[in-house]
Amino acid sequence: MRWRRKVSTRAWLVALVLGLVAGAEAHGDAEPGRAHVAPPPSPAPVFEPPAPGSYELPVIQRVGRHQLLDPDGGPVPLLEAGRVAVVSFVFLSCGHACPQATATMQRLDRLLAERGLDAGVGLVTVSFDPQRDRPEQMARQREALQPKGRWRFLTAPDQAGIDEVLRDFGQHVGVWLGPDGEATPQLDHVLKVFLVDAAGGVRNIYSTGYLDPRLMLNDVLTLAGES
Amino acid sequence: MATRPLATAALAIVFSLAGATAHADETCQSPYLPKLVGQEDYVYVWTLGIEGLGDGSDKLVTVGANPERDDYGKVVASVSVGGRHEAHHAGLSDDRRFLWAGGLDDSRIDVFDIATNPAQPALVNTITDFEEQTGGVVGPHGFYAIPGRMLISALSNGKDHGGKTALVEYTNAGQFVRTIWMPKGAEYGYDARVNAHLNRMLTSSFTGHQNYMRKLGDLLGDAEAMKNFGDTVVVWDFHARKPLQTLKIPGAPLEIRWALDPTHTWAFTSAALTSKLWGVFRKDDGRFEAVELADIGDPAKVPLPVDISLSADDTTLFVDTFLDGMVRVFDVTDPRAPKQIYERKIGSQVNMVSQSWDGKRIYFTSSLLGQWDGHGGEDEQFLKAFTWDGKQLTPTFELDFRKLGLGRPHIMRFGQHGLVSVRRGDEAAGPGLAARTR
Repeated sequence: MRWRRKVSTRAWLVALVLGLVAGAEAHGDAEPGRAHVAPPPSPAPVFEPPAPGSYELPVIQRVGRHQLLDPDGGPVPLLEAGRVAVVSFVFLSCGHACPQATATMQRLDRLLAERGLDAGVGLVTVSFDPQRDRPEQMARQREALQPKGRWRFLTAPDQAGIDEVLRDFGQHVGVWLGPDGEATPQLDHVLKVFLVDAAGGVRNIYSTGYLDPRLMLNDVLTLAGES
Repeated sequence: MATRPLATAALAIVFSLAGATAHADETCQSPYLPKLVGQEDYVYVWTLGIEGLGDGSDKLVTVGANPERDDYGKVVASVSVGGRHEAHHAGLSDDRRFLWAGGLDDSRIDVFDIATNPAQPALVNTITDFEEQTGGVVGPHGFYAIPGRMLISALSNGKDHGGKTALVEYTNAGQFVRTIWMPKGAEYGYDARVNAHLNRMLTSSFTGHQNYMRKLGDLLGDAEAMKNFGDTVVVWDFHARKPLQTLKIPGAPLEIRWALDPTHTWAFTSAALTSKLWGVFRKDDGRFEAVELADIGDPAKVPLPVDISLSADDTTLFVDTFLDGMVRVFDVTDPRAPKQIYERKIGSQVNMVSQSWDGKRIYFTSSLLGQWDGHGGEDEQFLKAFTWDGKQLTPTFELDFRKLGLGRPHIMRFGQHGLVSVRRGDEAAGPGLAARTR
């Protein structure tokens, strides 16, 4: 029971401190007395995004196509040949940053569909918790979000499969340990969404504080203008 | 568990995108990294080696900072990098797992893993070809996390070692991405700070290698060399990395601190050579203006303001002046009318100041540059910790970096066990890891 109480306190504090203040989906050892500050409410961003094509998006790193599982359980490539991808790593039992990423992906999905750009751009939500997020859970996620364009929901066959993908993208995911050193269900990650061009080049990385669908749309349009 | 996916999906659907941008800050940290808002367990001090003192090398010194731990006020670890490279600034990666630390002389960059064991940082990567990779940039100064990358603001160039310089981006894995030279008319560099809510970045300006690696006394007596300092702050479109405006701020504006409340659309900086506090304010038309706000000490005595630190509630600004070893505290509740409310001599010289998120703990270090330290005669080297109650500083502990054989302490960054998780696959070591990391 002591552990259960601690988890509850920790989850609440972390939601307050790291989820909202930091925008990081981290479940740290935020014991009472360690965390005090509630963030001020964030109003809407105060800027107009730069126009598509008016700036450069250099290749940050290159990533492989990788094989994952679609909601039907079949093997599919994470990255599709010839298609720009926006890749978001989440886990479905995550309560803070992941829903923010998914909401942004949903808005981007609508924006792309409205502009008829969905054929050349694929959104991909990938679970890094394959033990709990099986293909059927990803199918339910897709059903709930009702994509308007090509928005896929993938998971990995096993832990090793997703760890290889995460290493390739440079997305750290850690496990929080309990007081006796046991692994807890809580996963630690800093939210990141990756814009990948049709050749597998990562062209931008978004995290909390930077998850603006307007910027992401203009980045997609910037890549479209290159071709 | 079966209901979780739908619950998540529902949350996603109703989530307010307009309110999704959270960019509160750990007083001076990048808006793109997790913040340590509770009690810090450690202060990491990037320290310049002194010839003949200890091993003489630059090193990362870890100091216990949690009064509830046995290592409070003690040196917990020291990792030497070998040689002296003019250790200066350092910055945390966007996942707060790594600390990048630069050398201003030979442009060496050392990357430390501070996550595997926060009490025992490990040197995991070294970049020795910064100048070649970047196309001639030298003096990597500021290390500022942006998503998936490290933004490095430099001080100089390899062609003439003057002040013309650039911003540089590396991946978190240490791969060079791009160089963005400072714009014409504002070629000098120093700090780079982003306001994510405004999509604006401010950069400031100092001086080049030929000046910052020179004895301060010689430099001050060389009128021609003293002309080679920056006097600009550049406003950038951060997403596009495009300069929008150049603001004139005479006398080398150095550290930049954006206000942290997203409705506060201003930043502070201090001009080193003129000893003035400046504000950079967003106007109604979206452009920015630079406004001289206050003297810092007596400008006629050139106290040389160096570091500044803004409280998380945007009300209190600490300003260190190197040559007189003073800290002055300003009430900046009205950002256009700062009022000095406190001052204290910290030592014979003082450079960096860092405060905890709650503003209750303030740390100072003594070293500015290897060739500038001790200009006033005495060259003490220390880390001093204080508490701040809103009215005065009260000493808690101090470490004499000379007596400890460590060197010249410069920038400080905080670490905490509670921010650290275990890499997947390492859980098997569970009890041992838990004991080690708590």
